[in-house]
Amino acid sequence: MKIACFVEAYNFIVKSERIALMKFKSTSESMGHDFEFIYKNDISKIPEYDALFIRATTDPSSSAYIISRLAEQSGLKVIDDPQSIRTCSNKVILHDLFHKNNIPSPKSILFHGDYSRETLDSIISTLGLPVIIKTPYTRFSSHVEKASNEAQFIEISKHLLRKAKVLVLQEYVQSDFDWRVGILRNEVLYLCKYCIPDGGWKVRSKINGKNVWGDTIALSRDSISPGLKELSIMLSKCVGNGLYGLDVKEINDVYKVIEINDNPSIYDGYEDTVDGDIYEKIVNALVS
Amino acid sequence: MIIVSEDEDEGDSNPFLFLGQPVHDNVLNINHDYRYLRMGYYVSAHAETFGVDVTPNCTEIMDAYRNPLLIEKAKRHGIRTNYYRLITSSGSEIDAPAVLFAVNPFTNNSMKVVDSGSKLPGMIKRMSMGARFPVSIHPLTGEVMEIIQMFGESTNEETSDFAKKFYEVFNIPICKLIVQIDDGGVVLNHCEPALKKEVNWDIVHDKVREIKRSV
Repeated sequence: MKIACFVEAYNFIVKSERIALMKFKSTSESMGHDFEFIYKNDISKIPEYDALFIRATTDPSSSAYIISRLAEQSGLKVIDDPQSIRTCSNKVILHDLFHKNNIPSPKSILFHGDYSRETLDSIISTLGLPVIIKTPYTRFSSHVEKASNEAQFIEISKHLLRKAKVLVLQEYVQSDFDWRVGILRNEVLYLCKYCIPDGGWKVRSKINGKNVWGDTIALSRDSISPGLKELSIMLSKCVGNGLYGLDVKEINDVYKVIEINDNPSIYDGYEDTVDGDIYEKIVNALVS
Repeated sequence: MIIVSEDEDEGDSNPFLFLGQPVHDNVLNINHDYRYLRMGYYVSAHAETFGVDVTPNCTEIMDAYRNPLLIEKAKRHGIRTNYYRLITSSGSEIDAPAVLFAVNPFTNNSMKVVDSGSKLPGMIKRMSMGARFPVSIHPLTGEVMEIIQMFGESTNEETSDFAKKFYEVFNIPICKLIVQIDDGGVVLNHCEPALKKEVNWDIVHDKVREIKRSV
């Protein structure tokens, strides 16, 4: 089988990502499949392949979406498929999805910019302070802010609403780490703790003016608790049948989903440290 | 069927109210702008999350508004298109005159007609934002025209059959189409949101009344 891997130049900058991409290639070839990196100038070549694996950042506004949709229409196996991209890339749609399917998650509401006294009181009484403010297109902890009081909330939300029609406001849940559950075809693929760096409040925090990432601690997927496994698979089935990374808070043995991502990070020495067969499993999903 | 419209006189619900409520019935989403991250898109996404049929659905929206997807779908359904190319830089040989469209997340109303080959590299560089995003290039073979399509009706009589066919294939209630008219008829180049003031709302109201009567 011929597998196309859609990438952009930035996918090869960080060594651990570059090595992971080469592991995908060598694993595919050792299994008897061709594996070629393709770029946005190669869109017309899509029908030449049997499967498409997207590693460039996905978003409905990006070239990755166009590639994904064209590949789907040409009958290729696709990870990430267009519907998964549309659902997971947008926090407003995830907010809807969680409510519709009763997915346990921090309390959240949509906000369009109504700063009346009644609305502000309702937001603070419902979500408390501090409150998390997210744009629909947040990714890698960017465009996610925390407001400690009403004045900060107004300032931050007004700033974010300059580019977004709607924001997601969310109850703040403090934790030392987020569970990252990798899911493939509705089965657990890998399990990690994405730690919050000291002095920060999200996995990538600005500390003393610098962006700092927390540590990644990989654990065996077999060690996942039944509750976390059940919740993760329940949610992934609501989205589709692809490759996902779920971020989940655990507070007093209760799990609350923060988000589900398509196109989850897979870096050498991070997500693959304990369950090293994730490359083989993903290639198998593309060719089977 | 629930009519969700930005026109308060027409709809059963406006987009803001609709997004805050569960949905139990099929939805007709009337908006002049269905672009991703705009209210028209969110209405359709909200309806889809609740598992009801919605016109237009999000796949249809994306297929119409992303230029390469538009052209490929049009070709599959027998709508005339030009041979087009997607490029990020002017390294490859390109002929003028040509009609260019930016394929990036930021630009709307991006059409540029370039009649001289010497102007193409600079234009491609600007529209690709320094080779970061593709530019869709169509040969200029006829008269370029913008038409407003509303439920298969066109603001231009010459393109009325074309608008009807477009609506049958793409299911977008309101949009602006950029076409070329040549000896063979109408050629589709691009689809983008109409401005609110460009829409003939009397036609939209008549069509909505027809749809309401038929359900």
